[in-house]
Amino acid sequence: MRVLRSPLTARLLFPVAVLVFWLVSIELIQHVWPFAVDVLPRPSEVRDFIWDELRLDTFAPYNVFETFWISLKRLGIGWLIAMGLGTMIGLAMGMSKGANAFFNDWVVAVLAMPNLAWALFVSMAFGFGNTGPIIVVVLTGIPFVIINVREGVRNTPRELFDMSRSFRVSQSKTMRHVLLPSLMPFMFAAARYSFALGWKGLVVAEVFGGDDGAGWTMKFWYDAQRAHGVVGYAFFFMVFAIVFERFVFDTIAKRVFRWRPSLTEVEVVEEMFEAEAPTLAPAAQAGR
Amino acid sequence: MTATATADEGLTEPRITAEDIVRRNRRRDRTVIWFWRIMGYVTVLGVWQYASGRWMREELLPSPTKVLSTFREIWAEGDMPSAFQATLSRIAVGFALSFVVGLAVGILMQNRWLEGFFKDAVLIGITTPGLIWALITAIIFGNRMAGPLIAVVLTTFALITVNVHEGIKALPKDLIDMSKAFRVGVVKRNRQIVIPHLAPYIFTGVRFGFSIAWKIVVLTEVFASSTGIGFEMRVAQQLFQLDVFLTWILAFYVLALFLEKVVLEQIERHFFRWRRGLTAA
Repeated sequence: MRVLRSPLTARLLFPVAVLVFWLVSIELIQHVWPFAVDVLPRPSEVRDFIWDELRLDTFAPYNVFETFWISLKRLGIGWLIAMGLGTMIGLAMGMSKGANAFFNDWVVAVLAMPNLAWALFVSMAFGFGNTGPIIVVVLTGIPFVIINVREGVRNTPRELFDMSRSFRVSQSKTMRHVLLPSLMPFMFAAARYSFALGWKGLVVAEVFGGDDGAGWTMKFWYDAQRAHGVVGYAFFFMVFAIVFERFVFDTIAKRVFRWRPSLTEVEVVEEMFEAEAPTLAPAAQAGR
Repeated sequence: MTATATADEGLTEPRITAEDIVRRNRRRDRTVIWFWRIMGYVTVLGVWQYASGRWMREELLPSPTKVLSTFREIWAEGDMPSAFQATLSRIAVGFALSFVVGLAVGILMQNRWLEGFFKDAVLIGITTPGLIWALITAIIFGNRMAGPLIAVVLTTFALITVNVHEGIKALPKDLIDMSKAFRVGVVKRNRQIVIPHLAPYIFTGVRFGFSIAWKIVVLTEVFASSTGIGFEMRVAQQLFQLDVFLTWILAFYVLALFLEKVVLEQIERHFFRWRRGLTAA
């Protein structure tokens, strides 16, 4: 009885509940109201589809592993550009009121623009290929990097700056030893957010302007009206996102924040994550 | 000059107080800020206008002036209000649903067992791109009303749930214990303690959730609708009319920004008057 009451059982029970709900809905729709839906994917079809894909047996031009690898490469390049450019602009905005005034309205504007708009525009302006999706990744991720870096600069403890000035430490040394270390948690939050958001933007960009990649393949199955393909690929997406967000970033966080023994590393980033949310302008970090 | 003469002159000179210096610095900051802010607009719009003819073909990058004239044309044709209305009504209904679901799940997650149960649902809700839900509902529900609504709920509920959950976790236990000790009724306790405490969390959820909801509605309309902003955008894309496309998205984007910044922020300020009153006192 104790086992049944533990939260872990609840967590394992959830997929079971989803499956049951799915099967019940299929029965209900088939017998009560067939016109409620156009196509009805069945769990067995989806399971077969997923198994086939994993065995590299697919109708799509590329199999699931190649597809996600193509998308990952684009995401990586765009993310690096966003981090580099964003950090420079963020530093400038944090250190100078003029720079802040210059860029601020545009950062807000880019932040609030839906991925769809970038994706459609870029697909028309740049056609197929890698450029379009990479540009969308940069545009989606850069506002977050800028905002986080700017907050990081503003949140550096003033006393350290005063101290380095009184000890006549040079500008470059001050930046390296005072600014950069206290910027680390913010950079980490920036990296994590921009990666997650960039991924979402990339997928939309690939749907409209690509001939390969995860987003395009999803659209491939949608155009082929194979509901089990669409749901199956959605499953791959969820697994991919969970693997990357939870495992990769958490392990990196543990190593980067070894020097902070008081809090666990994950807590530091989670703190930043949570703390940023109320103060930041709209997100989507989540679902954008 | 005798000593007394200099002393007299010293008394008639205007004295510069510390306040004056602060005021002067603030005024200088304000000018600098406004100058650079305007320069930002001038630079971006100027580069855009310049790039339109010279760096990229006019069809691929319509200039700001072209977008404005297209806007006037489309407005004159009269299609805009109906498209806006279709999209806005979907957003209203969809977001209301997401709010209810998100709030319910967040409240349910107080219980540890239910927290474990919903944990993965929230995780998937937050990490899955909205496009996925849009495509799934589009293929299952086709053109029906249910499609965009379900997609919005699935995309936004998690954000509201997380905020409500955090708010409930952070409820000030000491105040609640105190109210129980003084036998304050449940209703009064909720009104005076629980709701004011939860209000900022719920509000954050609403703000972020709304910004996501309108984007997902427009996205689903691209795939599975015959009315609305998203539909108009898809039509413009298929006809390769970038200027029309830009006009629609910019028009809607301005409206959405207006709703987010002006409307929601005003409501927030109204709600949290009492907090600022406290700090002022």
